[in-house]
Amino acid sequence: MRYEAGATFEGNTLKTVSGTMREVVRKTLRYATSFLLIISLNFALPRLMPGDPVKNLIGEDVYVSEAVMEELRIEMGLNRPLYEQFTAYIGDLLRFNLGYSYHLHSPVAEVLRERIGWTLLFVGVSIFLGAALGTLLGAYAGWKPETKANRLICYGFIALSCTPPYFLALICLDIFAFELGLFPFKGFYDVPTPGSVMYHMFLPVTVMALFSASRNFLIMRGSVIQEKGQLYALYARAKGLYDISILFRHVIKNASLPIITLLALDFGFLFSGALFTEIVFSLNGMGTLIYDAIIGKDYPVLQGSFLVIALAVLLANMLADLLYAIADPRVRRPT
Amino acid sequence: MRQKQYFTGSGFRAGLKRDIVIVVLILTLCSNILPATAEQEDSESNLTVSKEGFFDRFIAYVKSLCPGETRETQDSEAISGAAIADTQQSASSEEAILKIATPNVIKSASLIGDSNLGIFAHLSNPPLMKMDAEGHLIGQLAESYNVSENNTCWTFYLRDDLYWSDGEPVTPEDVEFSIRYYGKETPWASWINDTLESSTVSDADNSVTFRFNKPYTRINLEFATYNILPAHVWETIEDPMKYINEGPYVGCGPYYLKQIDLKAGKLVFEKNPYWKGKTPEFGNVEIHFYSNVDVATLALEKGDVDTYYKYASSYPYPNIKQLEKTGNFDFLEKTNIGLAFLAPNLKKAPFSDLKFRNALSYAINYEEIIRLETLGYGEVPNCGFVPPSMEGFKETEKLEYSPEKAREILEKAGYSDSNGNGIREGKDGKDLKLEILIKPDSARVGELLKEYLEEVGLAADLRTVDEDTWFTLKDSYDYDLTVTRTTPWGMLMHASWGSGYFDSRRTGQGVMHNLDDPEFLQLCDDILATTDPEELQGYAYELQDYYAENLPAIPLYWSKVITPFNTQFEGWYADPLYGIYNLDNFVNVRRNSA
Repeated sequence: MRYEAGATFEGNTLKTVSGTMREVVRKTLRYATSFLLIISLNFALPRLMPGDPVKNLIGEDVYVSEAVMEELRIEMGLNRPLYEQFTAYIGDLLRFNLGYSYHLHSPVAEVLRERIGWTLLFVGVSIFLGAALGTLLGAYAGWKPETKANRLICYGFIALSCTPPYFLALICLDIFAFELGLFPFKGFYDVPTPGSVMYHMFLPVTVMALFSASRNFLIMRGSVIQEKGQLYALYARAKGLYDISILFRHVIKNASLPIITLLALDFGFLFSGALFTEIVFSLNGMGTLIYDAIIGKDYPVLQGSFLVIALAVLLANMLADLLYAIADPRVRRPT
Repeated sequence: MRQKQYFTGSGFRAGLKRDIVIVVLILTLCSNILPATAEQEDSESNLTVSKEGFFDRFIAYVKSLCPGETRETQDSEAISGAAIADTQQSASSEEAILKIATPNVIKSASLIGDSNLGIFAHLSNPPLMKMDAEGHLIGQLAESYNVSENNTCWTFYLRDDLYWSDGEPVTPEDVEFSIRYYGKETPWASWINDTLESSTVSDADNSVTFRFNKPYTRINLEFATYNILPAHVWETIEDPMKYINEGPYVGCGPYYLKQIDLKAGKLVFEKNPYWKGKTPEFGNVEIHFYSNVDVATLALEKGDVDTYYKYASSYPYPNIKQLEKTGNFDFLEKTNIGLAFLAPNLKKAPFSDLKFRNALSYAINYEEIIRLETLGYGEVPNCGFVPPSMEGFKETEKLEYSPEKAREILEKAGYSDSNGNGIREGKDGKDLKLEILIKPDSARVGELLKEYLEEVGLAADLRTVDEDTWFTLKDSYDYDLTVTRTTPWGMLMHASWGSGYFDSRRTGQGVMHNLDDPEFLQLCDDILATTDPEELQGYAYELQDYYAENLPAIPLYWSKVITPFNTQFEGWYADPLYGIYNLDNFVNVRRNSA
């Protein structure tokens, strides 16, 4: 009997392992296909935009002969047929070469490395703070939605989530930098010291964190309201657990699933969506890099930036899948 | 049971530990951030000292994130470090710092490759020539110049009191090297490579001579835009377009470019210790770039910066009143040599008909456009197109708004509404439905023009497109009417007086290249063949008469460039090409003694 039980257990384990392997292979294939599609789109999208990168590089009021323009076209590889440009692009990618920026006069990988660091610092902190603040306050507001304080917070976050980040950034800048003179108007720093960086980053990070928190708050609140009516929450209460314990040990785990999805989606935003805040605070981040590259038809920068964003989103989705499996055992269960 | 364990056992301890960690983290964050905000007026060094431990770790993180900061050679790092230290020292010294706000953002620390940086570097690496307040071209690094009779040979005599910031004298070889370098290395100056036959230098009279393979009459103007570089520094740099360096750069102006800090959004210029001209009042000049014009205006109003500069543009008109209210700013007013105009497609009927263009010119309410578009900081233009601030301006007839006259001209020219549907018909008997091609920034003018055209019986539709689509449509002559603008350099390029925008033999993103009338082309060639001031004046008058008689474009308004500056300073002037960003201002502007 014991032997049979052991065999059944081993069989189940093997089944689970092979199921998990199948799942991993399936997901890997899915992500690989997505990645290939993304690479092709990265190549195609910039070239679908109207405009000529060479004329753009020359500028508005400058006269250059057709011969010089052709020379530039050859130098930039834009004279070649599209399929040749595409194979060259794939070849470069395989050698981890993202190309050379037409306008920034630097290798794209170098430009991206520099910008990503600052963007991670600025938007990463904002998303982290926004997630923490929105999740905690949202959970509490969902647990006791009837209290005046929670209603007030809820109204506040609804207002914030309805405010475009650009406008919110300008309002904050007007009040805290212009009227009160508490913060500087622009830049990552004045002199490259940590104190200066923190001083300059406080306002943009606050704006982004508030905006991110408002989205997380509303989702978390709704989720907690839904979860607290479930039987497991009632059972926990019947066991005699305190409110705070039920909320933070049981309910929040289930209610946080939509937040995981939102955070994964925010990863794309992390690199590109901060554009407006970057413009208001004159920050040299990924948002302005992409914006300038679009205006300047800087194909290599666009391809590189889109690739990084796509990889980040893929990575975030993979992480979200993992977190889902940790937070929700139903996901782990073989179908 | 589990509940009990939570309150009494390890669960409780774990919960307590977690709470303590959260509290400690929050307190750490507050203690680091709040003093930074409260003590914002303290020097940065104080802040750094007070939080050394945390900040050390923080800066290590920042540095690990930003390998770009460490990619320069060791020497560059040392220079950069020294520059920062010097900047802090300068800031604390008694010498004043002149701060200029600009929305012309520097995108790359490439002195040759970044066009905005090229303009700002006029202060450290001045061109040979410059434009005075009246638009006359005069020497800057050059004391004087002469040109051969056939206009192929130009000789520039350099000032003998010029020194680079590393102590080396500025030589004719530097000038020769710079001009040849641009011709060889930059696509926009490739004309130099194509036309420069030979160049010679003479140390005896400190001169440099350029001999071209064909008559070239606008060299004095061209050489007002190319920054002069030290040959002994740049000759070792193989590809200057790809040369990225955050400074310092050796310069020969009253200041040298000490630091380009893209993350701080500023350029720092410091006094050239070997400058022998008039001593500038300011120890440093800082250019602060803002991605958003509104924020730049707020910074100015707050007093963070002393003046505002944007190439070819004015301080935003809606913000002028607010700035006036502070009482801390004076304003420099000058008519822009760039202007907004309506360009008809001359290759297409009915726009190829002069009478139709004439009627269009009467249909436009210029006063209203000026009131709405420039808030009154503009004037009704003349038929002669060229603004009065440009050298060689001729007073031609002022454009007039008269819908009655427009209707009358259209009727007489055969554009009448015979079927009574409210829309005039063209010569082919079809309703005249015009398409006005505009870019998003011309939306308001476009709407107004649509109304004006409808008022005189012409149906009009607006087609708003992005800038690149506009370039494509304009180059393929796929439009009826379009609204665009000229820049100061655009007005001066080619045969000057705006001719570069219309000459059909030219190409370029901003130009219309839609005029192939032999009379006009001959006039351009005549201008390009002479350097005689009197002859040039005559041709300029002829060209403006041609514009007035033939209306190849209808100017919509002459705008004013308004430049605010802090009342603490005096002595500013603006030239037609670069506005207040000229070398003279940086040596002449002084603190207001009152």
